[in-house]
Order: sequence, then C-alpha cells, then structure tokens
Amino acid sequence: MDYDIVIIGSGITGASIARELSKYKLRIAVIDKASELPAGASRANSSMIHGGFDDKPGTVKAKFCVPGNKLWHKLKGELDVHINECGSYVCAFNDDETKHLEKLLEQGKTNGAPGVEIISGDKLREKEPNVSGEIVAALWSPEAAIINNFEAVNAMIESAEINGVKLFLETTATGLLVDGGKVRGVSTNRGEFLAPVVINAGGVHSGEIASWAGDTSFRIIPTKGEYFLLDRTTGGFIHSFLFSCPSKAGKGITVLQTAEGNLMSGPTATEQQDPEDRTTTPEGLAEVLKGARRLVPNFPVNMNITTFAGVRANTESGDFEIYALKSPRGFVNAAGIKSPGFTSSPAIAEYIAELLKEELADVITLTPNEKFMPERRNIPRFLYLDMDERRKLAENDPAYAQIVCRCETVTEGQVLEAIRRGARTITAVKMMTRAGTGRCQGGFCCPRVAEILSRELNIPLDEITRHGGESKLLVGKTKEFLLNKKGAAAHE
Amino acid sequence: MSKKIDVLIIGAGPAGVAAGIGARREGAENVVVLERDWDLGGILQQCIHPGFGLRTFKEELTGPEYMHRFIEQAHEAGVEFRTNTMVFQIDRETNTVWTMNKERGIEALNPGAIVLTMGCRERPLGAIRIPGGRPAGIYTAGTAQRFVNMEGYMPGKRAVILGSGDIGLIMARRMIWEGATVEGVYEVMSWPGGLRRNIAQCLDDYGIPFHLKTTVTKIHGQDRLEGVTVAEVDDHMTPIKGTERFVECDTLLLAIGLIPENELSRMAGIEIHKVTGGPVVNDLLQTTNPAIFAAGNVVIVYDLVDNVSDEGLVAGANAAKYALGKIPSDVKRIPVRGGENVRLYSPQFVTGETDTTIFMRVTHPIEQPCRVFAEPGFYSQRLRYARPGEMNEVKIKAGQVKSAGDISEIVIDIQPV
Repeated sequence: MDYDIVIIGSGITGASIARELSKYKLRIAVIDKASELPAGASRANSSMIHGGFDDKPGTVKAKFCVPGNKLWHKLKGELDVHINECGSYVCAFNDDETKHLEKLLEQGKTNGAPGVEIISGDKLREKEPNVSGEIVAALWSPEAAIINNFEAVNAMIESAEINGVKLFLETTATGLLVDGGKVRGVSTNRGEFLAPVVINAGGVHSGEIASWAGDTSFRIIPTKGEYFLLDRTTGGFIHSFLFSCPSKAGKGITVLQTAEGNLMSGPTATEQQDPEDRTTTPEGLAEVLKGARRLVPNFPVNMNITTFAGVRANTESGDFEIYALKSPRGFVNAAGIKSPGFTSSPAIAEYIAELLKEELADVITLTPNEKFMPERRNIPRFLYLDMDERRKLAENDPAYAQIVCRCETVTEGQVLEAIRRGARTITAVKMMTRAGTGRCQGGFCCPRVAEILSRELNIPLDEITRHGGESKLLVGKTKEFLLNKKGAAAHE
Repeated sequence: MSKKIDVLIIGAGPAGVAAGIGARREGAENVVVLERDWDLGGILQQCIHPGFGLRTFKEELTGPEYMHRFIEQAHEAGVEFRTNTMVFQIDRETNTVWTMNKERGIEALNPGAIVLTMGCRERPLGAIRIPGGRPAGIYTAGTAQRFVNMEGYMPGKRAVILGSGDIGLIMARRMIWEGATVEGVYEVMSWPGGLRRNIAQCLDDYGIPFHLKTTVTKIHGQDRLEGVTVAEVDDHMTPIKGTERFVECDTLLLAIGLIPENELSRMAGIEIHKVTGGPVVNDLLQTTNPAIFAAGNVVIVYDLVDNVSDEGLVAGANAAKYALGKIPSDVKRIPVRGGENVRLYSPQFVTGETDTTIFMRVTHPIEQPCRVFAEPGFYSQRLRYARPGEMNEVKIKAGQVKSAGDISEIVIDIQPV
C-alpha cells in the first residue's frame, strides 16, 4: 500500500483531518480536483466561526460547533491565521423574532456557547450605528468570530504538509477500490492511490463518493449561496457579524465585516441539481441586496467590488454525516459538511482520529508522532506590518520592496513565497497572498502575477491559467496569431 | 543625508512629467518624480495608436511619441526621476511620503510640496454586478491593451466589448488588426461613452456593430468564457424581457468607465469630491491640504492628454511656488456651482489669483445649438451640441474675478439656445 490514509477533498474539512492525523505516524495523501485551495464551499462562504447557539441540541452539528469554535481561537496563533474576534448578533425586528431569539438563547446555553445574551435594539445600535432603527432586540454571541477562510485552508493543509502529509491537486477521485469487503484505495484521473482507509471529505460531492461505498443513506442537495463583497474602505460600516432571523422568506441574509475589513453580505439558499454551478443570478443578487438593506438600510452597494456564489453540501436531514462504514471496512464519511462546517472542522478532525482508534483499530494503528510541529507561519503580510518590520523584510529580500498588487499592498516577495509554497495559477496566488482580491479585482496585478508565474515556473505566458484546466489567460502571441489566420485563409 | 526635496510628484504619466517641468521652470531646486513602473510615461506607454498631441504639438503622435517629447523637456529642465518606486503611504499630519524600491528599500520623504498625479484606473466588472460565472477571458480594455501592446499576447480570438469608453473603442480596432473577431460594442446608455472620432475611426471603419441601450446580462463559462447574454434596456437601464440573445465569444473587454485613483489622497486626508472621485481643488490645483496639489486624471477624467499635460504644468508651478513660500495662505475661495445639466466639473473653487479653465461634462446630451457659460458674466460661448463623452470648458480671467468684487459663487452651465 502507498499510504495509510487517503483523504478525498482538501476543503477545510479534509485539510483539518489531514493536519489532525499528521499528529500520528501515518502516511497520508490528500487529493483534490482543484488547481488551488480553497476551492469549493471552503472558498465561497460567510467565513464565520459560529458561536454555537444555532444548532439543535442533540444534532451532530451541535456536538462539534462549540468545541470547534474553541479550537479555532487556539489554532489562530499556531497556524498564524487572521481571525477577527468580533462577535455576532442575530437581529429581531418584531415580537415573533424576539421569541425566536429566546429559543436561540436556550439552545446556546444547552450547547455550552459561552456568553450568549439578548440585548435591546438600542444597545445594538450603540455598537453598530448603521443597523436598522427597526431592530428591537438582538442575540449577542461574544465568541463568534470571522476568519480569513483563504488563509485558514492553506494554513491547515500547509501545517499538515510540514508534518509529512502529501497533497495532490488536480487529482479527481473517480472511484473506490474495494477488495473482499475492505477498502483498498481510490482510483483517480492520475492513477490509483492505495490505502486501507479512505476518508470522504468531498463536500458537495460527498454523497456521490459515499455511494461508491454502497452508502446511499444520505443525499447531498447542492445549495447555492450568493454574496456581495464590497471595497475594504467600507469595513468600518459594520464591525461584526449580523444575522437575520430565519423567516418564511428565507433563511436570512447576513451582513458582516470580513477578517480583512471588507463589508460583505449574503448568502441566499437556492437548491440546485448541479454541484458545480457557482454562477450568480439576478434573482439571487436582488435577494441579497434586499436582505442587506433590511439589516443595514444604507448598505453602500455602490462600493461593490465583486459578487460570487458558493455551493454548500446540504443534506436532507440538515445534519453532518460523520461515521465509519461497517462495510467496506476502512471507509469513513466526513460528509454533508455545511454551516457551521468551517467552525466545526477542527473538532470533526479530532473526532475522526478517535473514530479510527476506536472503530478501525483492526485496520489502522495510530501511533503518536513525537515530531509533530504545531506551528506554521504565514507568508509575511506587508499590509499589516509596522514600518520597522517592513524595512527589515525589504533589506533581507528586495522583492519585498516591489509592489505587485496595489489594492492590497502585496509585494513580489509574497508572490514568490506563494509560488515556493506551491501556487501555480493566478487564483492560487490570490488565495495565498490576496493579490487580486481588492477593488480593481486583478486589473492591475493579473498581468504582473502572470509574468512572475511564467518566469519562476519557466512556462510560457500563454500557458498560465486563471484557475487550472482550460482557464488560460491568453490564446497566443499577437503576430503569430495573425499570420496563422492569414495562412489558414490562403489555404481556403 | 540627501538634499531636501522641494516638490515631490507621485506618478510619471503625462500629468506628473509636466508637473516636474512646471515646478523646475517656477524655480524649485530639487524636483523628484516617483514612478512605480520601470519606465516613464504611465498608461501612454501602451497607447501605441496615433491621435495624441494634436493641440499641443499640432501633429498627430502616438502615446509613446507624445510622452517622449515631454520626458526630453523634463530631463533638460533638470527633473529627477525615480522609477520602480512605489508610494505606499502618506501620513496626514506630517505629509511624510513613504516609498519602496528594490535598491533603496523603504524610505520616508518630507518634501516642501507634493503633486498627486496618479491618474485613473478602469472600473472593474464587480462594479456593475453582472450575474453568471467567473471564467478566464474577462479583462478591462486597458489590461487587454497591455497584454497585446506591451507583452505581445492575444487575450482572445472573439471579443465582445462592454461599454464604449475610448480604450474599449481603440481595443476593438486593435483586436481586428490582430486578426481577432469583434462581435460588437454594447453600451447601456443611449449615447456613446467615448469620443465621436473614435466611434468613426475604430468601429465604423471596420464595420464593428455598435449597440446603444444594450448591455451584458449574463456571463457564460466556467474555465474560459464561452459567451455572454446581451439584452436591450429600458429608460431605467433595466433589461427588457424578450430581447435577450446569446453572443458567442471567448473574451469580454470592459470599457465601462474610469475612476480617479485616490487611495493615497485618502490616506493623506484631503477631501475627495463625491462626483468627480478626485481631490477637491481650487484653480491653483491645490487640494484641501495646502501643501498637496493634484493634476490630470487623478482630479477628473479627461478626454485629451493635452489637457492633462497643461494641468500638470500648472500644478507643478504652483507646488513650486508653495514650496518657495510664494502662495499666500489667505487666498480667496469662491465656490463654483454646476447648473442642472452639469454632471461634474473641476476645479471646484476659484481664487482669482490666476486665469483658469473649468472643465465640465453634461449629464444628458444636448443635440442642438447651446451655450456654455460662467456667471456672473465671466464667459459665454455658443456650441453646436454638448455630449457627456466630450468635455466642455469655460475660461475665467483672474482680472474678471478681481473686478467682480465680493461674489458668493460662480455658476457654470450649458443650456440650449
């Protein structure tokens, strides 16, 4: 066998499991079909670390959300990830909604969510002056936080890699290899990955992957969520995370300030067939805008810099599907992970380790890895350094004195470091450095990042892709193209 | 310790290079222009088509040729240029300018006066929120122009152009010259965004269809762009149901407007005008911080580079005067007010210390003889028409302002006659 464990999917769930299991002496492969991380739902979500009051006691979600929240507050330092510990409010506009807050408060207490309390609308407006005057009460959750989800997924998988995990991008699982009721590995577009344990962290595809093992006990309902992202100068408009109460009209739109200081609003919840359809729609965007304006009447949508959509892995039960199959032996589901999946992922990962010890001891042995290194350092973020740190960085490496992305003040040094850490596409550099996430959305830096990728990886500029596959930026050289066309015309 | 910089200019495009010349001619000793690119000229480096400098040089030059003439003058005048140097911060209390450069590292400069000449940037796709996917193949026209003219690569073979700003029109023609197909130019307004001469020379001459009151309503494709849905819009710019049609293309070029680039200006704490998007300036091109001046597209987006250079010369000269202590702190500040059909204008204040030109754009086109004027009685000129895509101006003499005595405002407007 090549590996002890193959993990399908390197979203936050798969990456967290990989890192947790790298605390043991195991040969682990993580495969993901994307060209850069995060890709699926881990890229496009509300980036919320939930307080833990929203999940019905007794559910799997409720079991993992509060512990996950606590773990993230610890992981923040270990993984060097940006988390804005701003708390969240659920806003109530009338008596019915206030009653709902009381229910959430009770749930929060049962789930062990610390510090949850109901405050008046006026008290909320003292903290958040731009919220609607019609809000009568709010549920305050001080432990809720907002994470930089691009950084977090990369940090998690990097930490796993530091501890020996092998990551394979652009590797699509195509089937499960089973032999005599036992898992033997995964077949992919790049050959077979053999291992006695396969963990399904396939997100929106996790239902299909489970069905390869004959498990059809749950079905994934791909559910699209659309968002607005506004210019970073709008960040101070709202300082925390605002939820609406769920109503007949929908699950409720949120307004938040991202960990990077952008104002953001979303998501919708539209069920669809296609797990890969991440297109935004006029109806979806209109719904978000309406919801945003209900919470924040002067929501400055004219400062919008991009809209995007993510597809989350809803299940019919609405709950996570985390368990080991009796048969084929060695197959483990970490499936149907949606909100609060980002929050729960480190706790899910710890649980998976226990599960392997307790239920699959005959298949795999978990021996602690004494050399495990919990610390991982981020690529230096020029934007957040003080002037002395910047000077030092630039003196040591002049590439840190050259700006590539002017909106987010990303230096060439950061781009080079991202490439050193595995970035191969424009989007990979964006995920790892934030170059291209600002108000010009890559208009300025995209050609420059493309040039650096071309130079460093020694591949022609017209082979550089936006996000892998057929997403090439350019179609060829200017005059060559013209001559070829003329030649072809002459032939005709 | 290096010599104190009298006038520090940020950006070596047409405005900045002219500001350098202006500052030296006015007697400033140490004039430095910072440029983040490796070469001088700003966006004109990639504007290799002719049509520049008709007014200034009475001949038709390409962008690089036009810049070359000014750069030569600047070198002769003794302007110092620092390329590959980016300003990343301006401290508002001290006017300290922080720069970075691979050789020089990070430096703090404290000049006598600053001229902001950062130019403008293109509005991105996000600003107009088109639903659909996020494939490769969507570029602002300027980014595509850089790829084609500077790097020598084609962004695609079959293009749709959204918006009819000048760069989009120029790029439509450029794509045709390079053997690509241009399916059409789509403009949501009922009038073109760019100059009439560019519509004629870049679209009409090549038979490129130009669709007014039409926009892109959906983007198709996941990896590479596969096409767009276009639809006609009503008077409220809402797409009209039933008019949607699919246009196959692998490239979408955006020419949907330019925004003055004022991140540094905001850091510096100067007032930014809500409509122009540029610093509020008086006729000396002085911002609300008396030591900071601004010129060119960073103030208001111009049609012609000649105006940008003119303004650079004026701002540079006044910044030099300020650094030399020759601008009194108690200059008049007469507000300019735009009439009903004036969408934006600059400068917004008049001191009466200098002759001045106020540039403006109308909100709605006037397709009949009209009059552009400045009250009280400063200026009046007949026009054959007035269009949003083509700037208008009024000229006011310092003497007129002085002899007008105590006036509370100057009103500018364009009205049909």
